[in-house]
Amino acid sequence: MAVAEPHVPTRAAGAAAEVEQGTSLWQDAWLRLRHNKLAMASLVAVLLILATCFVVPLFIDLDPNAQRLDNKFAGPSAEHWLGTDQLGRDLLHRIIEGGQISLLVAFFATFLTGIIGILYGGISGYVGGKLDSVMMRIVDGLLAMPFLIIVILFRELIKVPVEKLSDWLIADVGLSTDLVLRFGNIAPLIVAIAAFGWLTMARIVRTQSASLVELEYIEAARSLGIGHARILLRHILPNALGPIIIYATLTVPSFILYEATLSFLGLGIEPPHASWGSLIKEGANFLETRPALILIPGLVFSGTLFALNFLGDGLRDALDPKSSKD
Amino acid sequence: MLRHLVASGLLILSLVSCQKQTQVERANEEGILILGNSNEPKGLDPHLVSGVLESNILHSLFEGLCSLHPSDDGTALPGAAERWESNDDFTVWTFHLRPEGVWSDGYPVTAGDFAFAYERILSPKLAAQYASMLYFIKGAEAFNRGETDDFSSVGVEIVDDFTLRLHMRGPIPFLPEITKHYTWYPVPKHAVLRHGSMDDRFTDWTKPGNLVSNGPFTLKSWRVTHHIEVEKNPRYWDAGRVTLNGIRFLPIGNTYTETRMFLDGQLHATYTIPPEMIEYARERMPEMLRQEAYVGTTFLRCNTERAPLDKPGVRRALALAIDRESLIENVLQGGQKPATGIVPPFGGYDPPGDLAFEPEKARELLAASGYENARGLPSIELLTTDRDVSRRIAEALQAMWKQHLDLEVRIVQREWTTYLQRQQDGDYDIAYGGWIGDYLDPTTFLEMWKKGDGNNNTNWSSPEYEALLAKAELTADPDARYQVLAEAERVLIGETPILPLYWYTTNYLIRPEVKHWNPLLLNHHPYKFIRLEP
Repeated sequence: MAVAEPHVPTRAAGAAAEVEQGTSLWQDAWLRLRHNKLAMASLVAVLLILATCFVVPLFIDLDPNAQRLDNKFAGPSAEHWLGTDQLGRDLLHRIIEGGQISLLVAFFATFLTGIIGILYGGISGYVGGKLDSVMMRIVDGLLAMPFLIIVILFRELIKVPVEKLSDWLIADVGLSTDLVLRFGNIAPLIVAIAAFGWLTMARIVRTQSASLVELEYIEAARSLGIGHARILLRHILPNALGPIIIYATLTVPSFILYEATLSFLGLGIEPPHASWGSLIKEGANFLETRPALILIPGLVFSGTLFALNFLGDGLRDALDPKSSKD
Repeated sequence: MLRHLVASGLLILSLVSCQKQTQVERANEEGILILGNSNEPKGLDPHLVSGVLESNILHSLFEGLCSLHPSDDGTALPGAAERWESNDDFTVWTFHLRPEGVWSDGYPVTAGDFAFAYERILSPKLAAQYASMLYFIKGAEAFNRGETDDFSSVGVEIVDDFTLRLHMRGPIPFLPEITKHYTWYPVPKHAVLRHGSMDDRFTDWTKPGNLVSNGPFTLKSWRVTHHIEVEKNPRYWDAGRVTLNGIRFLPIGNTYTETRMFLDGQLHATYTIPPEMIEYARERMPEMLRQEAYVGTTFLRCNTERAPLDKPGVRRALALAIDRESLIENVLQGGQKPATGIVPPFGGYDPPGDLAFEPEKARELLAASGYENARGLPSIELLTTDRDVSRRIAEALQAMWKQHLDLEVRIVQREWTTYLQRQQDGDYDIAYGGWIGDYLDPTTFLEMWKKGDGNNNTNWSSPEYEALLAKAELTADPDARYQVLAEAERVLIGETPILPLYWYTTNYLIRPEVKHWNPLLLNHHPYKFIRLEP
């Protein structure tokens, strides 16, 4: 047994046996991730941004829409750390609110695409045959359509029902106007992005599930008489989790980007609320006169995208070491 | 292969050489004026539009009985009519059309075309929003409201092919000035009827290739969202005076983009300039920045049939909670004046001035209307255009109402045509609006609030108000007439179906080679006098 670890001569045989029991896949991945400096730095950056957007507001009184018209375009001060915008609103507060909205939209949409994509792709790959062909051709068809245009159309389509729903929630259920309006504001965005964003996820999961279903342990499970749903949920999907996590991490920044694109086109969040996209859109107007108004939100925005992308890459290398060797 | 290389080399060369010359420089050589024109026009039928941007294009294409003066809004120059006269009390006007006047397809411009145009815009089925501009003609209002379908009851008389006589509803000394307006333009009877019936709104007669006009220019091309281009009309009676070979109108909704295009040499003049850019331009190119008085008012329309705006107290509370001074100083920054009424101050007219910023009183009014601290108010939507500056004004108002009245308002931004349509359909709560005078008289701002007027759109009407306007029509003494009109305006502002915001100043950029572009209160620059002298 000592042969197994010739370079640790001092270690007792018993301890070596413990090491041999092995680390789990997740521990392995974590070890690999920890050695990836860029990914770790990105992880810290992402956590910092999340904390700023979602934890800090618990302690300070966030007021992103409070105007002081006589204090517009103010520079940084003790009161306004990043200065104020064209209507005298605090830029930092607006960036935090914008981050909440941009990140919430992206995370919720990713979550929804995950659920739809995993179930759809899992079933498609597991069942196979004709059903698989039909399901995947549907995905191909939807993928062929220009994503942004479809999302814009769909968002307009569901806007009215969502407005009716929020009116009903305020009037008949008695929820607070502010809360409902805030979610009514972003709900069409989330649903529209998720409704067409699950396609690639479905493809990835389908490939995984189609290859896993051929393996002996699935056959063994079948021969034990385990039902289809249980095989899918207990034996196939957990083994496809690596690629799912990787793809989801890379989806979040692309959804942030879509949300920003929609807001930049004026189709996103309703005024006076801010998202990173709408902040950049408004800031672009002051490119010549007050460049800070586009630079600061732009830096925060691109920094977040960079960090999430590097983190996604790091996770891919960590969870799927084969691909990192190229 | 070699051929391809040569071809692509030539292409690259031509691209490089293009870049040396800006669009404006090339246009100078071609004699083409390039203007920023805000948005895509709703149409080019002079009877079916009501916007300033449409008017900018239309007065290059058409010409009324009288035409625009290059430096004086109050003077009417001969247009399709070479001379005119009235009887002693200004109730009957006779216009003598010029015999050499022809449409761009060679047909003569006759009194029949004018009579046809007036019948068309007044016919109830066409539902022209701006038909009320012709109510000065005797019997026109009754015909437009469908009380009679006999056009001979309207005071439009064809004496012969080149003589048109108009019988007015009262003394109208300023009629020649009014005939410069696009609602009074003739339309080519033969061309309109070729593409459909007289009172059909949706025919193709204004499409490029079909549109026949009688002005200094004719329609060359219309590429939606790109440009509308007009070219010199060689058949125009005064073609010798026209030096421009054409004008290109670009629909650029984003004012920042427009200013950047101007700085980049892509436009001769902008439609407007956004607030901060005024300061920027003043520092860098003061000779290109123009800030001129302009007879126009910006206000908010209230849909007085929708709760809670059906209560005058609520509307007035909203009006009193607007800090106009701060809005102008901090958001608009263009030298506008806080509006206390709908008619901007000019020429001896004294507008009523009791709308100030009084948040205390506004809260009391709201409470007195049954909404203490805005409790129980249904949600209110503020409809505005999709421009960035409109959004900023809307956000400032939203915050003022929130701060002073604790009132939640949702901002709804729509592109220009939808924005206009929703107001016409009455599908709004509060809508941002602007009105530019069509002639220099208070009635151009007051007539539109009569019941059923196509530009009223507030569902508000008042018999008292209309009685005062009718009284003014019969008052000959100018001072006494202004007093009656001011009294009418007090009734209007007292019930506040509209919340006045500010009186306009135009701010725009224009290149120095554009000559004879003079400051005008109505801002209609007759293109036939404009020269490009680089």
